[in-house]
Amino acid sequence: MEAIWLYQFRLIVIGDSTVGKSCLIRRFTEGRFAQISDPTVGVDFFSRLVEIEPGKRIKLQIWDTAGQERFRSITRAYYRNSVGGLLLFDITNRRSFQNVHEWLEETKVHVQPYQIVFVLVGHKCDLDTQRQVTRHEAEKLAAAYGMKYIETSARDAINVEKAFTDLTRDIYELVKRGEISIQEGWEGVKSGFVPNVVHSSEEVVKSDRRCLC
Amino acid sequence: FDPRIGSRVDPYGFERPDDFDYASYEAFFSRYLVVLTRRAIKWSKLLKGKNSIQKSLKDMNRTFPDNIKFRRTADPCLQHTLYNVLVAYGHHNKAVGYCQGMNFIAGYLILITKNEEESFWLLDALIGRILPDYYSPAMMGLKTDQEVLGELVKLKVPAVAELMERHGVMWTLVVSRWFICLFIDILPVETVLRIWDCLFYEGSKIIFRVALTLIKQHQAFILEATNFPDICDKFKQITKGTFVTECHTFMQKIFTEPGTLSMTTIDKLRETCREKLLSQG
Repeated sequence: MEAIWLYQFRLIVIGDSTVGKSCLIRRFTEGRFAQISDPTVGVDFFSRLVEIEPGKRIKLQIWDTAGQERFRSITRAYYRNSVGGLLLFDITNRRSFQNVHEWLEETKVHVQPYQIVFVLVGHKCDLDTQRQVTRHEAEKLAAAYGMKYIETSARDAINVEKAFTDLTRDIYELVKRGEISIQEGWEGVKSGFVPNVVHSSEEVVKSDRRCLC
Repeated sequence: FDPRIGSRVDPYGFERPDDFDYASYEAFFSRYLVVLTRRAIKWSKLLKGKNSIQKSLKDMNRTFPDNIKFRRTADPCLQHTLYNVLVAYGHHNKAVGYCQGMNFIAGYLILITKNEEESFWLLDALIGRILPDYYSPAMMGLKTDQEVLGELVKLKVPAVAELMERHGVMWTLVVSRWFICLFIDILPVETVLRIWDCLFYEGSKIIFRVALTLIKQHQAFILEATNFPDICDKFKQITKGTFVTECHTFMQKIFTEPGTLSMTTIDKLRETCREKLLSQG
């Protein structure tokens, strides 16, 4: 039997090649870390349940994407049906940080008329001695785009849970407030099997989804 | 006078018959030598050149991390060979350059031929001639062929096509790796190599035969899926097990299980799917 969950959120993980997208997802969904992992070719799919409050579970469908530029012609088809996103850069690779803007532009164009709630993730924070991007400038950039910023390490399991659960919580709040709503023909948020203990006040009111910008 | 031409024994060790036509053979070989030399020169030039391809080659130590010959500590380390083949290919085919996935294909060619230059020419045969434009920046050939597979499934395994449609599963999600990596890391090594034999011989149609066989053979199993993640999981499962390990019977199956599959049908489908994709932008 399927575990009971309130909602299902679709999240997408994007960022330059080799920033560690697959490793972060694997750490979160499988609890393990591979020192070296194959490049992701195309798109891959993972899922996990998270408990945001006692008894309140959200099912996450997580889309892993290829980082190489030419794969965008394939991966961009997945933006539209995502409610949330983790935009990764590698703190030891300045170039991947500089490309954050380009990634946001890319998604903005292809997500219309919807909007993705992004969190900016500075990955590989265990490699602090090789750091090329300061926490301060990353926070500044994130703030400029209205995103939260978090630093993670899949190798040392730092903030991995937090990155996903915080984003999930933020989306949950937006859903609760009706700023994001379930829509026919949109896969970003789906309602699940609601257990009896949950009050009806917390159910989503069907309304036109407003733009968050 | 080249000893290969005048000798009583040929370079492969076979004794030449008494009536061997040395004059014709010499005439042939002098022409063929031009081809071989041209290729050798081309290859050495490609190795020397430098361009932006090198920068994008971050995948050397990410290719087959579970293969001892590709480890950084291996001697000889095939990462260097792989690097040479891919850099050379980037120079040679500038329109394609380097695309992730090519590292796996070149890697297999190197493991099998154990030869840098031969791997290069085989890679060129695959990418430049046998496969449609899977690896060029727009990946139009890849997107087209994934749609073509969808159409073929509609024709040949309609229940599965209907299931995919109902749950909104895009074909790219479940099969892009099949196409881009030509079944590397999807199917067992021996099976992949047998498929490649046919691929070199019969062309890209073989990829559809393999994909359709996998889907049709496991139709009942796939249809057990009741939701999106289930479907994704089923497509991962159907590439495992004895059915695909028994490469010899598997190869016989791919020519019977999907039924007729003419090149005319595929060409037509490729054309319509391509037009559809272009109109969608």
